[in-house]
Amino acid sequence: MSSTQDIYDAIIIGAGTSGSYVALGLVQGGMKCLMLEAGHDFDKNSYPQSELDANSQLFWGGGVELNSSADIGFLRPKVVGGGSVVNQALMDRFDDLAFDSWREASGVDYFTREYMEQWYDKAAEQISIQTVPEAYRNGNADVFRNGFEANGYCYAPLQRAQKDCGHAQGNSCIVCLGGCKRDSKQSTPITGLKRAREAGLELRADFEVEHIEARDGEVRVGGRGRDGSPSNYRARRLVLAAGAIGNSKLLLASGFQSKLPALGHNFHTHPQYMNLALYEEPVDAFKGPLQSYKSADHHFRHSGFKLENVFAPPVAIAMLIPGFGRLHQRYMKKMRHFACIEVAVRDSSPGRIRLKRNGDLLIEKTLNDEDKRRRDNGRDALRNIFYATGASEIIEGNVAIGLHLQGGCNMGLSGGHSVTGPDFKLHGYDNIYTADSSIFPNAPGLNPAFTIMALSIKAAADILAEEGR
Amino acid sequence: MSSRNLSAAQLSGLVKAGDIVIPGDAELPSFSRSGASAHVDRMFDYMHDSDRDGLKLLFSIFNVLPAFLLRGILKLSEKDKALPGPLGAAARMINVGVKGVVMTLYYSDTDQVGINQAIGWDAKCDELDLPEGVEEVAAKEAPQALAAAASSEAERATMLARAGAAALSRLSVKERSAYVASLRDIVLRRREQIIDRIQADTAKSRSDALMSEIYGVLEALHWLEKRAPKLLADRKQYTPLSMLGKSSWTWYEPLGTVLIISPWNYPFIQALIPIASALLAGNTVIYKPSEHTPLEGLIEELLAEAQVPPNWVRIVYGDGSTGAQCVAARPDKVFFTGSTRTGRKIAAQASELLVPVELELGGKDPMIVFADADVQRAAAGALWGALTNTGQSCTSVERLYVERPIYDAFKSELTRQAERIVQAVDSDGSADIGEMTTGFQVEIVARHLEDARAKGAAVLCGEQWDGKSKAIPPIVLDRVSDDMLLAVEESFGPLIPLMPFDGEEEVIARANDSEYGLTASVWSKDLERARRVARRLACGGVSINNVMLTEGNPALPFGGVKNSGFGRHKGEHGLHGFCNIKSVLIDKDSNKIEANWYPYTTEKYRLFSDLLTHLFGRRRSALIKFAATGMKLEKYSDKAGKRGREQ
Ligand SMILES: Cc1cc2nc3c(=O)[nH]c(=O)nc-3n(C[C@H](O)[C@H](O)[C@H](O)COP(=O)(O)OP(=O)(O)OC[C@H]3O[C@@H](n4cnc5c(N)ncnc54)[C@H](O)[C@@H]3O)c2cc1C
Repeated sequence: MSSTQDIYDAIIIGAGTSGSYVALGLVQGGMKCLMLEAGHDFDKNSYPQSELDANSQLFWGGGVELNSSADIGFLRPKVVGGGSVVNQALMDRFDDLAFDSWREASGVDYFTREYMEQWYDKAAEQISIQTVPEAYRNGNADVFRNGFEANGYCYAPLQRAQKDCGHAQGNSCIVCLGGCKRDSKQSTPITGLKRAREAGLELRADFEVEHIEARDGEVRVGGRGRDGSPSNYRARRLVLAAGAIGNSKLLLASGFQSKLPALGHNFHTHPQYMNLALYEEPVDAFKGPLQSYKSADHHFRHSGFKLENVFAPPVAIAMLIPGFGRLHQRYMKKMRHFACIEVAVRDSSPGRIRLKRNGDLLIEKTLNDEDKRRRDNGRDALRNIFYATGASEIIEGNVAIGLHLQGGCNMGLSGGHSVTGPDFKLHGYDNIYTADSSIFPNAPGLNPAFTIMALSIKAAADILAEEGR
Repeated sequence: MSSRNLSAAQLSGLVKAGDIVIPGDAELPSFSRSGASAHVDRMFDYMHDSDRDGLKLLFSIFNVLPAFLLRGILKLSEKDKALPGPLGAAARMINVGVKGVVMTLYYSDTDQVGINQAIGWDAKCDELDLPEGVEEVAAKEAPQALAAAASSEAERATMLARAGAAALSRLSVKERSAYVASLRDIVLRRREQIIDRIQADTAKSRSDALMSEIYGVLEALHWLEKRAPKLLADRKQYTPLSMLGKSSWTWYEPLGTVLIISPWNYPFIQALIPIASALLAGNTVIYKPSEHTPLEGLIEELLAEAQVPPNWVRIVYGDGSTGAQCVAARPDKVFFTGSTRTGRKIAAQASELLVPVELELGGKDPMIVFADADVQRAAAGALWGALTNTGQSCTSVERLYVERPIYDAFKSELTRQAERIVQAVDSDGSADIGEMTTGFQVEIVARHLEDARAKGAAVLCGEQWDGKSKAIPPIVLDRVSDDMLLAVEESFGPLIPLMPFDGEEEVIARANDSEYGLTASVWSKDLERARRVARRLACGGVSINNVMLTEGNPALPFGGVKNSGFGRHKGEHGLHGFCNIKSVLIDKDSNKIEANWYPYTTEKYRLFSDLLTHLFGRRRSALIKFAATGMKLEKYSDKAGKRGREQ
């Protein structure tokens, strides 16, 4: 067993959206930091080329993890850069509705649009954010737009963390779901994480942390490299940035449950339902910008769902289309003729992350009647959009997908019903922090990544202030 | 082929399942032929142990199962939603697991065996910028918003509503009635707020708003939502014997986009019932409320909460000139409720455009009380019928005929009850009647009252009214003659003109002597007489021993005759009024030439003529002869049709 003698100022577990920006703040403040990441460190030339390898090598469990009732598939990133490498990089600032409900659920008074503005602004300085150019919109975006217009629903163009996507040369952003091959998508390995490493962050990739311990004013972290060889590290402070499921799993496995009874609770996922519609003419939903529009309908928002035009690569489409055999193949050959819109539910019923006896994950997450109503209202709207644009057939996607994994270490004022305090410290621990998606008090119903960035930048500033740096 | 993770048997199980999931066709290779299973380790190396173990077990089992059983299991795994909890979950796990492995290996097209080409997948993201000589992808024009070209709000609304029809018309009636059901839930839940809004615009009493507008809407929506799917379903119709072998149908299709113009007396009920009816029939709606009681924003809000897309119902605010603009935008039908004067204008404008109209106009409704009726109940009914909504209903009791023997008793009972009416725009439901909604209607009531007084009428109660205040109390009048304005014109206020009569014939004649014919009521213990009188009244609806009740039942059609308008709202007829009732006759495809087609010959003329004799004659043997002649005619026609005239 190897054990380094050095004590780091801070160890950051997870090199995703949050970890990258907490680390950047800390190393820029002069702290000596180590980042541990289970996933591999790729670059634009080495990201896996095929969907098979991308699923296997960029996600936990070889692609998809299922909830206990096997009706939601979670996509949980496992790669240096985390979600920022595999996500669609849509950037939302939360609205009053989201922050009001966060404040109400957590009692944390800084969850306001006015206060968070400065942190969003700091996040925006780190990346290039563009409005997805309407000029290169594909047929799917047209279906979305025209369907919204015909029914009188409101929509808005999407904002995406991107730069120079080269749409004029026919590039399709869908490819970048497996890591961007031209460094256009503003993933952390080419933005925040890159800067952090340049400022002295030490990164160990392919290392899965299995155990953490807080003792004698320091933290000890143990885990294994890819070849199975164990290592231990020590630090004065620990930043958990392993994501919603990752944080809960690690803390549960390390026995924190007794002190943190709410651990693993309050898990939300914005269950997404992709629905396909068949058109006579080619739609080419995978060409150009993958997503162009979102619903901006006040009533959709208040009804608890949102719509975005979207598509997926062939394997995922094959999984969405029900059935198998020749009929399924016939549908697959119509790939270019499919439009696709997703309904994302702002889930009101929390799930729970647990561990089985053998240490495997057990994720309990179901839709209650209210959430089903939200989904169905979304599907009705979608049907109206597809009908209005002349779809010949609508295919409701077979599986729900959980991409926005949130909670498990929800923020709140006291230990009974929450795990993390407003100062980003786990209740009762003075040197363990988290600012990633696990602290979300409930489902905001909006794209989370930009807010994770903003909160992570704030957390780093808070830690530095505490350090007196 | 071998694998680090799967045994040979497991691999063969996978391939067996793979070929069921992807059997291949002319363009796509089968799973086994694609060679995809060679890459199985690239998946299995990264799986969670438990998932890997589960799949290995499955594939081992698949390997020994006969193909039909394997297919059965896979089929069953698709039916997960029909299976109870844990079984459904197991089915899904198998489904996601097996399909996941097969689809991932196959559609990643790792060996590039043409799968991507066959499905048309060619997404790319090139690192380098466009090389010299390669053409750029053309940028699209900036998108244009719908109805940007409209010149008025009415036109814009119509264009938007027309666009909305594309989706709505494709929904089944059941799908449409789901919206009506949630609308009903919302009205029920938010009724107190709605009543606040109604009172603010109309000055009704709170109970008036609850008992007519809210109750009326709920009852109607409930009926519509339950009955519409049946009433709008395709109907098989009679097919004559001479068309044997064919079937006849009526289909109830949407008209398109309809314009609904509503009056100020019941701004809520007159909005929601026609809107819901039109939507159920598959029409989008342009709705123009009265400028006096617009309930601004309320209807939109309720519809949006019920998830009705904005373009399915566009609301246009404004006065008569806005209404005219809406008609000019050429909706597919105009459904107008309001005054006879405005109705006439709308009909004139619509007639030029050949837009169909339905008019629900004014009334001067008679109530006829025979001497054998219960005086107290009849007086109470008269009071309510004349005063509900402060008399501002098109079906208010505006002429009260009481048979002479009970006239005096009725008069004093009515006056006694009228004096006890509580009038206020209240907030707790304790007032009977509210105030008048509009100033111009107050003026009409004042004019009618003045005219009656001048011509000798006696005011039995309500004389304290100053002739100006909107709080007009109940005013009961005696010694009313048929030439007074309030016996002829619509007063639309709380005036109750009492008139004695002698005998059935007289009262029928007097009741029918009106330019209006909306509804009426007849009161008598003798139901036979009541029915007899009801049949002879020239109007659209009669309540017997009750008042204003026909319009309370959503299953009954509503509408009038003469200057009260035409067409029917509500009930089956009302729903069908919003339909293009399409007649469809279905024959089989065959090689037969029909008897009534060319060529016409003398022989055919004779046969056809015989056929008519047998078909419509009264002889008992006719049917057999009809059949024989029919067959002959058919044979002849077919032959003649195919060979041509010369044979
Ligand atoms: C396909 C997809 C599309 C998405 N699109 C959008 C979008 O358009 N807009 C948006 O806002 N959000 C989007 N999201 C969600 C968003 O990416 C995530 O919410 C966000 O990245 C979460 O950030 P995080 O820092 O909490 O976790 P992550 O970014 O997931 O980072 C956690 C990291 O911790 C590592 N880790 C976990 N456990 C351990 C351990 N024990 N030891 C070592 N390392 C560990 C993981 O490997 C991972 O790299 C998308 C997600 C997906 C999957």
